Amino acid sequence: MRPVRRLRETPGARDAFGPLVDAVAASGADLARLRVVCDWIQYRHNFRETAVTRPVLPAADGGPEEARELAVDLRRWARADPAAVAADVAAALAGGDDGDGRVWLEDWVHGSASRVWRFNSLYWQHLADWEKATGKEYERALPGGESDGRNAEAARDLIWDLFKVWDELEARRALPPELYVLELGVGNGGQARAFLDTFTELDRRHGRDYYRRLHYLMGDYSAHVLDRAREEVAHHGSRVSGLVLEATRLPDSLAFLAGKAFCVYISNVYDNLPADEVAVIRGRAYLAQVRSYLPAADAAAIAARFGIGAAEVAPLAERLLRIGPELLSESAPDKFGDTGAAVRFWQDAWSALRQAERYVPLEGLDGYRLAPGVTGEVLRPLLGATGDVRMHVSNGALASFAGTLPLLHPFGRLVCHDLFTTDLEQYRTGFYGPGKYDGSTVNWVNGPLLALLASRRGFDVAFTPFKQRPGSHVKTLTAQVRDLCCCPRRSSGRIRSPNGSSASKPSTTSAGSAPPT
Amino acid sequence: MSDGELRRDNDIDYFLARMPGVRIERRAKADYYDYYEAAADAPLPDGGQASLGLAADYEFTRAQTDRPIKFSFTGPFSLSRRIGGAAYAESTGTGPADLVRALARLLNAEARALHAAGAAFLQIDEPFLAGYPEQAKLAVEAVNIVTSGVPATWALHVCYGNRYARPSWEGHYDFLFPAAINANIDQITLEFARKGTEDLRLLAVHEWDRSLGFGVIDVKSARVETPDLVAARIRRALEYVPPERLMINPDCGLRHLAPDVARRKLHAMVAGAAVVRAELG
Repeated sequence: MRPVRRLRETPGARDAFGPLVDAVAASGADLARLRVVCDWIQYRHNFRETAVTRPVLPAADGGPEEARELAVDLRRWARADPAAVAADVAAALAGGDDGDGRVWLEDWVHGSASRVWRFNSLYWQHLADWEKATGKEYERALPGGESDGRNAEAARDLIWDLFKVWDELEARRALPPELYVLELGVGNGGQARAFLDTFTELDRRHGRDYYRRLHYLMGDYSAHVLDRAREEVAHHGSRVSGLVLEATRLPDSLAFLAGKAFCVYISNVYDNLPADEVAVIRGRAYLAQVRSYLPAADAAAIAARFGIGAAEVAPLAERLLRIGPELLSESAPDKFGDTGAAVRFWQDAWSALRQAERYVPLEGLDGYRLAPGVTGEVLRPLLGATGDVRMHVSNGALASFAGTLPLLHPFGRLVCHDLFTTDLEQYRTGFYGPGKYDGSTVNWVNGPLLALLASRRGFDVAFTPFKQRPGSHVKTLTAQVRDLCCCPRRSSGRIRSPNGSSASKPSTTSAGSAPPT
Repeated sequence: MSDGELRRDNDIDYFLARMPGVRIERRAKADYYDYYEAAADAPLPDGGQASLGLAADYEFTRAQTDRPIKFSFTGPFSLSRRIGGAAYAESTGTGPADLVRALARLLNAEARALHAAGAAFLQIDEPFLAGYPEQAKLAVEAVNIVTSGVPATWALHVCYGNRYARPSWEGHYDFLFPAAINANIDQITLEFARKGTEDLRLLAVHEWDRSLGFGVIDVKSARVETPDLVAARIRRALEYVPPERLMINPDCGLRHLAPDVARRKLHAMVAGAAVVRAELG
């Protein structure tokens, strides 16, 4: 029972339990091997039917199920009548396979390999086409109608911190000639502009002319987004460079930056990267596999709308993912008269898309590759700590995070605003994705997992509320090298020199081991 | 030759866990390179008998080879940075600098035992010093306590850290001079492969007249250097240091590299040195 709070607050959700139990009892299912999981799926657009079953398989290569999980969305049941609940449960327990006419879009895969993420990539690559079709910019699809990265006050704090570090390094001739700041996921350039405009102002007051040495690198997966951001900061000229890059493959694009970035700023990127999910069921670890499909009725409606056969829907969706809407319309003008028609096909398919799920045993954590250079071993403390639980693996975020840490200068800092879980207990009491935002996929990010990876690599991670939007779900992750002591922000005091001449007061607990502040 | 020091979990804890007077409350850790939280509740015992077992470590290595051995141990300044506790707090009137000196006296006892066991080439590693450049004079004072009365060949290694396979600090070696001139050492061993050779000029500026341990292998990168690259680096060093005062070595320890990569890097180092040696006749 994950939506604990909702259960208390929403009588309709409680009312669904009687019909749920009645329907399960009437189904003939083996109740000794049936788990029921109740979620409150807050995303109005998501990948789930109201009730679904998930087989728990005994071996990774399939085989007869050894148990079954019935997963329901209480939000959609909160206003449903008892007959609808019973019908949903009966349908879920009865089928969920080829028998109901659904159109499969893929075979069983780990979550991160799902077509869902290819749709997500398509959205960012062909954002201009999507926006043209919808008539609104993507930021308006975000909660609150804008991205989180455009706040001058936040930029001011960050810049003063940078100045403190740079002043100290300059004093000891340790400041490199080029000062790199990297932003990943630049949105429309609002954050870059806020940072650079504020930097210019503060640098003038500070009088060290750091602006002349500054290199602000903007990285984004979408060339369209990047072009828009470039326009926003055009007045900063050569201080800014834009790079089209994949956040999960940073070492390929940014090897030159290793150890040089004083600040890496990331806003709302990780929640949009591919993720697996793992579960512990009765003490055993499983990977959740998914299989995307279009419900039969939706597939039929799409076929009718575009005058195509029902059997053509899946191949055309696959071709769309491969070549994009413009080339799809060019290659099939009889079906899609222009790019706009191909985008409408895309939007219809995306809107209808659902995912079936099943659990396969996770045999040997060391054989499970989460991200380049990261095996499932990093999950061991998390899976062993919480009893039965299902959580995100956040593979894409892990790959990006692991690829970003080596870019940091020893005094550098990674600042990331995103939807982070910060405690594994959250996974036991709430639903954290995936869901659909406009044409993209959104997922909360497993914060404890990122913190664990950082720890293995000598970094400390802190999560704090997102100051600039109080009350939002967004958290700020800050990562910096562990145990450094000579940087102003991390000072734990200096040792007195032999002649007693220097120095700030030393820590009385540990001369060099105080955690970063 | 070295035995690779694989018995050591890291450059600090191996020593502090054996150091008399140092308390480590919690000895479990997630990663071998995580550091213990160590504390000194009372002043450390003064010198006396060696108790860290370093002489036995040396004897193990000695039993494996008849080649010359370089034996390294972490220096008093770096060890002091990981010891908290009340005994050397500023308010006690002793202060952290006295902790450095006390550690130096304990290490001096180790050095004497090592020399008695036959160690002829000893190296003091100070991986934390680059983070506290203003403390170079104190660190050198402590080095001189360690080496006192031990007639071995002494090297002092100062790098920018190698913890978690990444540098802990950045900067230049200016801070070492002129303090290092007063160190009773025969060789200063520095990292150049990762940082570049710009700081070689410091040896000329400060008229360094002893040996240089010249780092030609970047131990933080898995990319294997070619012998030609190693040779080029050595030739650059020879512009500042004559060959009889130049020792070729990696920037720091190789523990973060895959064994195959480490071996190939060492092969490249030896081959590159051979190229230059042949050129020198």
